[in-house]
Amino acid sequence: MNIIEIKDLSFSYQDEVDALSNVTLSVKKGEWVSVLGHNGSGKSTLSKLIIGLLKADSGEIKVDGVILNEESVHDIRRKIGIVFQNPDNQFVGVTVEDDIAFGMENLCFEQSDIVDKIKEYAEKVSMSEYLKKEPHALSGGQKQRVAIAGILAMKTDIIIFDEATSMLDPKGRESIMNYIKEINKAGVTVITITHDMKEAVLSDRIIILKEGRVIACGDTNDILNDKETLNSSNLELLLPLKLQYLLDEANLSNDKVKDILWQLSLNK
Amino acid sequence: MAIKFEQVNFEYPSFDGTNFSALKDINLEIAEKGEFITLIGETGSGKSTLVQHMNALIRPTTGSVTIYGIKIEKDTKKKGKVKLNPLRQRVGLVFQFPEYQLFEETVLKDIIFGPKNFGVKESVAIERAKQVIKHVGLDEEYLKRSPFNLSGGEKKRVSIAGILAMEPDILVLDEPTSGLDPKGRDDLLKLFMGIHNDLNKTVIIITHDMNTVYKYASRVLVMNEGHLVYDGLPQELFSKENIKSWNLDIPDIITITRQLEDKLDVNFDSQPHTIQELFELVKEVI
Repeated sequence: MNIIEIKDLSFSYQDEVDALSNVTLSVKKGEWVSVLGHNGSGKSTLSKLIIGLLKADSGEIKVDGVILNEESVHDIRRKIGIVFQNPDNQFVGVTVEDDIAFGMENLCFEQSDIVDKIKEYAEKVSMSEYLKKEPHALSGGQKQRVAIAGILAMKTDIIIFDEATSMLDPKGRESIMNYIKEINKAGVTVITITHDMKEAVLSDRIIILKEGRVIACGDTNDILNDKETLNSSNLELLLPLKLQYLLDEANLSNDKVKDILWQLSLNK
Repeated sequence: MAIKFEQVNFEYPSFDGTNFSALKDINLEIAEKGEFITLIGETGSGKSTLVQHMNALIRPTTGSVTIYGIKIEKDTKKKGKVKLNPLRQRVGLVFQFPEYQLFEETVLKDIIFGPKNFGVKESVAIERAKQVIKHVGLDEEYLKRSPFNLSGGEKKRVSIAGILAMEPDILVLDEPTSGLDPKGRDDLLKLFMGIHNDLNKTVIIITHDMNTVYKYASRVLVMNEGHLVYDGLPQELFSKENIKSWNLDIPDIITITRQLEDKLDVNFDSQPHTIQELFELVKEVI
């Protein structure tokens, strides 16, 4: 079953060229999909359209069978949590615990439930020691982890991570990627928006955007095999893939090396 | 020596009385010219706090920072005898997400705001704007545009131009490439290398990207839990055992080289810096 269906979606900022043109795609329930593209490819615009922060010029977005419009936008937002790139733009609480509680309060969770959940999710993102801290005492990565805890606690069906790890250090990034794996296994539909192919290979499926258009969409394995599309996408290729391409060009590859490089590409 | 930290400790005060110690006994010297330094360390390790001391935005809780001969200590008051403005002009600090600090109607007005604040005549500032906009890789035509209609990468460039227009001797950038895609990141790093080489300025960059460190830096500073734990060459850093305990990544090219050595059961003579160099090595063993 498709939990998100997007048909012929177009959007432009003011009079400028289309940020998205005729985008059609779907996301299955429980799936983990990466939307991959370089800056300006339209990927963040797409996420803002899905949660109704922007209004499409034309086309249709359906979330869990409901068409997104002015009447349905609030119900749809209860189903979708989003974590943005810049943690400073989403820290709304006076303290860490207030911030984690904010989303749950909006969804009218029971007060006692909120108290338990704050502890549970602060623990999940390793921020338990900081519950009483104000945002100025936190680093960017720590604020981001708080934002993620707040979204996870809302228990929405779908979570969009819009470049959510790009401000984090390696350890922070790895732990967030591990939560994503975990919540996806638990049944949450996950959309990660990224320009980092290393992150994208962890997902089930990859959609590549370039200049507002979908230029590729398929299983992660198939996408990684599609040399032509990857080369035209302006994305930074994974080093094992680059090496494979160099060996191919020199007619030097063999099955053993190919297999090793493939495993390394998939981060295994 | 342009900047000298001597036994610097810094604590962030907190409402609940448990002050957070962000810098612990830092001793560090930065030369005025010719250094291209990357400052790394996990989030919360004290990197941003450290660089904010470099132009006296914050003052040490104990110890001192000497910037161009002016000693900054805890009770060096803003309005005392020490004038901090000249220091801030000489050490240009670009914050994380500088694009959020653009506020004027035109790019030109934004760029000349800083120099004018430091007492530069408007006509001189405008001439500088015309120069620096080119240094950051944008056309002079951009000066007339509104900063708010630019892309994220362009905004970053404009805000960096605004700092360059103050003609600082040292340029400090707090995670200037975070959030950019690989092309945007490389373009910006080349720009900083250009500023470093052509204008002969010391450039200090905070980053989490070890590929950047490996490719560009001549000196690396590593912060860990408020301590400066490493000050040296990038090549030596990545062969150190402690690197894991500091929660630092290994550059991709080193990782793949080690993985290949392991899986192909070979030992390459040298550590390649580029994929092409690795290709040449692999070619010999398959």
